[in-house]
Amino acid sequence: MERVVTINLNGNSYQLEEPAYDALRAYITRAQGALAANPDQAEIIRDLEQAIADKCGGYLSPGKTVVSATEMTRILEEMGPVEGASENEAPRAESTSSASGEGPRRRLYRVKDRAVISGVCSGIGAYFDLDPNVIRLLFILAALFTSGFVIVVYIILMFAIPSAHTSEEWAAAHGVPFNAQEIIDRAKREYGKFAEDSSKSWRREERVWRRQWREQQRSWNAGFSSWDGGARAQSPAKPVGYAERIFAGLFAFVFSVVTAALLIAFLIALFSFWTTGQLMGWEAPADTPMWLVLVIICIVYGAIATPFAALRRTSYATLNGRRDVGVTDDFITIVIAALVAWFAWVYVPEARLLMEQSYVVVRDFITHWTN
Amino acid sequence: MSSTDEQFAGLRKGLLEFAILTIVSGRTVYVGDILATLAPTPFATQEGTLYPLLSKLRREELVDYQWVESGQGPPRKYYQLTDKGAGRLAELAAYWRHLTTTLEGLGR
Repeated sequence: MERVVTINLNGNSYQLEEPAYDALRAYITRAQGALAANPDQAEIIRDLEQAIADKCGGYLSPGKTVVSATEMTRILEEMGPVEGASENEAPRAESTSSASGEGPRRRLYRVKDRAVISGVCSGIGAYFDLDPNVIRLLFILAALFTSGFVIVVYIILMFAIPSAHTSEEWAAAHGVPFNAQEIIDRAKREYGKFAEDSSKSWRREERVWRRQWREQQRSWNAGFSSWDGGARAQSPAKPVGYAERIFAGLFAFVFSVVTAALLIAFLIALFSFWTTGQLMGWEAPADTPMWLVLVIICIVYGAIATPFAALRRTSYATLNGRRDVGVTDDFITIVIAALVAWFAWVYVPEARLLMEQSYVVVRDFITHWTN
Repeated sequence: MSSTDEQFAGLRKGLLEFAILTIVSGRTVYVGDILATLAPTPFATQEGTLYPLLSKLRREELVDYQWVESGQGPPRKYYQLTDKGAGRLAELAAYWRHLTTTLEGLGR
């Protein structure tokens, strides 16, 4: 299910799927940037919007009222990149090479628009030009034969493979030529130039942005989520590279597992000490009061877990760039905690013993409390 | 063919203006006509390139447009060559002939 955005193109309303709207807005923004020095900028943008509107009309009928993301990608491909100042004779070899012959660089992305869980399988399918259902079947079979190990592999992939947010990424996932690539390349080149010219002011910008981002994160963590805020934090639009996102994904996974394991260990330690007075055979010195040991356990846990939690948050922020982190982050932590616990239960006998023990501990604790 | 395409991209880009002036000189056209006329030729182009170029030509007063109601949809801009544009086109054509004869002459 996709959210639909209604837009006004030169006085006519059109309904677009949200990713289609994002792609269109990005296209128009880039066109405005390319035409920034052009005295007829507004008029050209109106003409371009009208041309896009005409093309949208071609995909619509009384029975079909919404333009899909795929269709918008095609429309924007047909439109082609908007040339900046025509006096500027920039070589166009790149765009022609991608338009003819070898094709664009294909990259592995998660493709959400055909996803069942997170789009890993449809992304792999798109990469190899296979039906995603074939990949899904292979995954399920592999999971059965390896008694669940492949599920962990899937989760790692879920983190490591960036999801295709923009139409460019979507096109790269499918190996479809996307002419706007040229605009992006140019934007990157210009960004490089700009960074050289004014690295100082850029750094200042970046600091401001970082601060905004941290504030944003805090408000997300407080359970407040706002798309506008996200757009503001995104405004300097420093692109996060593909490789960077893969690393961020892997780190996000590793740190999530570590924080989840720490949380479980902490809870078990707390309860086992509370009830048995000892921790894995270790006993506190006789003259130390119980509450002090518990407080020390809490402090130690905090000291160990906080840096990992911070690292995990940073990884998520890099991974998602601008997407809502707060809610999914916490949800994923719970899911991972459950999975880690399950694997420990199945594969690590000591952990299983501990958990069984802690069950007894919790039960005794509850009976003690209720009586 | 594709490598030829790539090599001469710069050359074609320089000549696109010439091609558009030539099309506009024959008849009054809207952007769709220009795209369709160019599509089968080596000058095939896209809206993203064409609109900024037409706006530049209009600013230089080589072409002009007027709004014409179309049967379906909104009114369209129909472009035509101005007198100044006709002058420029004649200049370009003469210069182009000069260039090609020079190049042929060099080979002899």
